[in-house]
Amino acid sequence: MSTTTAVLQRPSGSSPNPASALRRVASAVPTWGLITTKNLELRRRRGLMIAVFVLILGPPVLEYGFRLLFHAVDPSSYGPAGIPSAFQDLMSPMAELGFIIAVTVGAAAGTTDLTDGMFRHLVITGRSRIALFLARIPAGLAILLPVVALAFTLCCLVTSFEGVPNPTAVSINNGVSIPVNLSESQFHSWIEEHPRQALEAFPTSPGSFVDGVPVASGDLASRYAAYTSVEATLNPPVNEMLKIGLWLELVVGVGFVVGLGFGALTGQRTVTTIVLIALQVIVTPIFARAHIPYFINGQRLLVGVALNQLQPAGLASGAGGGGGGGPLHFGGGGGPLGIPPMPTWGMILVIVGWIVGWSVIGAWRMATRDA
Amino acid sequence: MSAIIIPSLGPLHLQTLILVLLVAGGVFFGLRRRRAKHRLSGDREASPDEVHETPGAGADLTVLGPTARSDAVTSTAEVASGRTPRTGDGAAAASGQTRAMSLGGDESNEWAVETHGLTKRFGTTVAVDDVELLVPRGSAFGYLGPNGAGKTTLIRTLLGLTKADGGTISLLGIPLPQERREALARVGAIVDEPRFHPHLTGRENLRLLAEARGGDANERIVPSLQRVGLAERADNKVSSYSMGMRQRLGVAACLLADPELLILDEPMNGLDPAGMHEMREMIESLVEEGRTVMLSSHLLDEVERTCDAVAIVDHGHVVRQGTIQELVHGAGALVVRVECADPSAAQQVIERSGLAAGTSLTESGVTVTFRAGSTRADIDELTRRLVEGGVAVYGLQQVQTSLEDWFLTVTSRLGGEA
Repeated sequence: MSTTTAVLQRPSGSSPNPASALRRVASAVPTWGLITTKNLELRRRRGLMIAVFVLILGPPVLEYGFRLLFHAVDPSSYGPAGIPSAFQDLMSPMAELGFIIAVTVGAAAGTTDLTDGMFRHLVITGRSRIALFLARIPAGLAILLPVVALAFTLCCLVTSFEGVPNPTAVSINNGVSIPVNLSESQFHSWIEEHPRQALEAFPTSPGSFVDGVPVASGDLASRYAAYTSVEATLNPPVNEMLKIGLWLELVVGVGFVVGLGFGALTGQRTVTTIVLIALQVIVTPIFARAHIPYFINGQRLLVGVALNQLQPAGLASGAGGGGGGGPLHFGGGGGPLGIPPMPTWGMILVIVGWIVGWSVIGAWRMATRDA
Repeated sequence: MSAIIIPSLGPLHLQTLILVLLVAGGVFFGLRRRRAKHRLSGDREASPDEVHETPGAGADLTVLGPTARSDAVTSTAEVASGRTPRTGDGAAAASGQTRAMSLGGDESNEWAVETHGLTKRFGTTVAVDDVELLVPRGSAFGYLGPNGAGKTTLIRTLLGLTKADGGTISLLGIPLPQERREALARVGAIVDEPRFHPHLTGRENLRLLAEARGGDANERIVPSLQRVGLAERADNKVSSYSMGMRQRLGVAACLLADPELLILDEPMNGLDPAGMHEMREMIESLVEEGRTVMLSSHLLDEVERTCDAVAIVDHGHVVRQGTIQELVHGAGALVVRVECADPSAAQQVIERSGLAAGTSLTESGVTVTFRAGSTRADIDELTRRLVEGGVAVYGLQQVQTSLEDWFLTVTSRLGGEA
């Protein structure tokens, strides 16, 4: 054991760490080195990484793999692989599975030091416990977000290059054609410029129009939702794809941070994973479908509901502000949201609240936990 | 929904009720935490001044326990001065300075570990009970006690892994928890069994800890691995390591800090005899470099071989502390085993001589316990009397009281009183 006695010897009384190093150790801001080692710690969990790749990359690879194969073998019976419905159908499972695996990775990141007995070693280093916690956020996201981006890019590529060309206009009612890819404000402008076509396309009860122009904002929103539901049968435009991609990344990012914070709070990986999956798969759809008097705002506080309502218009088939909530999967049975849509700032507030809230709870528990 | 759940609430919104409950819970826990913090800081405020300003405080506090205050033979300075041939002349000189420093000098630099009235409770259980501990610098110090005596809890409290309920701590003269980071930058420790991420290699685990340490800890990974003899297995996963290798990796993790003080919790656990020998050599070499090693153990023999000084702990309380020699010699009277042809005749001669406090017959002779204050000259006198009394003496052997005998005596005495 005592092979090299010369090494590590130092003059008595010298301080091993200069003041600047001590300041760095005391800082709550994680260093790059700390983040990379935390990333390494997660990356080397082979089982977890396999699960990440299977659950995030699996759905698009399987879906498009079979579609491409069948189309190549028998093009007359099987249409192009990149049809819009395939893209839209894939996004919800990708979001759900992405959230679940993100929660699992977050729970692992939040508990691994405790369960492996490394927490004590780390605390003894004197490093700020908050820095130790915060380092896990970029470390975990650096694994998840690129994989999601890869899976989503695959979807976009197949949709763009192996699909059908988009028409320039969609037909709503009575053969009225409206240009595709209109934003809500552009859609509003189009209605103002084409009052007669708008009236034909969206027949309404008397009194809702003044000189052929819709007056109630609610009506406008429902008409835009009807327009987007028809438009949703087309390939989403590039900017909409980008929004969908960012939304997917947001879902996964939120799942990771919630899993991390909850994991750090409980210190138990299995409990954390099960509770958060149950929240996403069972509780959220039930609360989202139910209409509970006096508790609507409580229902809206669920992050799954807010994320669902925030999904981009290109995915939304139901009503909702800023795109609005689509059908609920898993526990929701594909049903629509039962809660009236909340304003975009409300959704953002709820999502930011969950991210900040769980980060603070996790950091607090890390800082106060007995090691 | 609120009407269904709590019909009597009427129009009161359920979310308002939840909000009120959350706020009330927050206030309750906040107050509890504040009260606990206040109690602890109140304890700490008074003590450091007392320690630094009262010259005799250290000596008074050293020998503890219900039986010991009157025979406070081991002053704190004596603990330091009694340490060790292996610390060399420099250390001896330093120990010589120790007494002077304790009598009004910079006492904060004198002890590697210094606690006063340190207490840690878990509910009604007192795991660390008013511990007064003084570990001299540059020594190997054993913290000895039976299983469940509170050794690990003391170490966890010293390192700030759990909060103390009372008392003061200073490591290397730096008060804790006020300047915890500065102190821990110069301390390496293994607490409980050394556990690491099993899916990472030994080197990766050290890298993780080095990044957390900061400074030039990264540069010490390779020398540390070489030092503990793990260089060749550094790139194997820790899951494939034996217990002994994990212990060594634990020591390597300690060395990343280039520590002045190493705190090792049961470092011999799980080691085979060769591993124990290597660990002992490692500890000795660390002490030779001028570092202080404090180790906890229930392996008396190992502590006796490895350490210069010990503290005996029982039920969370330090019963005694001092150098092993002092403690063992102070524990019992001089005992000699006499092998002879006629044990009965020998016993009569011995009892007539008035030298012995007691005798007991064995198959081959007599075991003689001398009176208190007896010296080796009395053994010479006993031999002369036996020869003059016509007893054929085949041999005399002084019975050495081991640390184990002494430990059992001390702890059983405590148990008897309890």
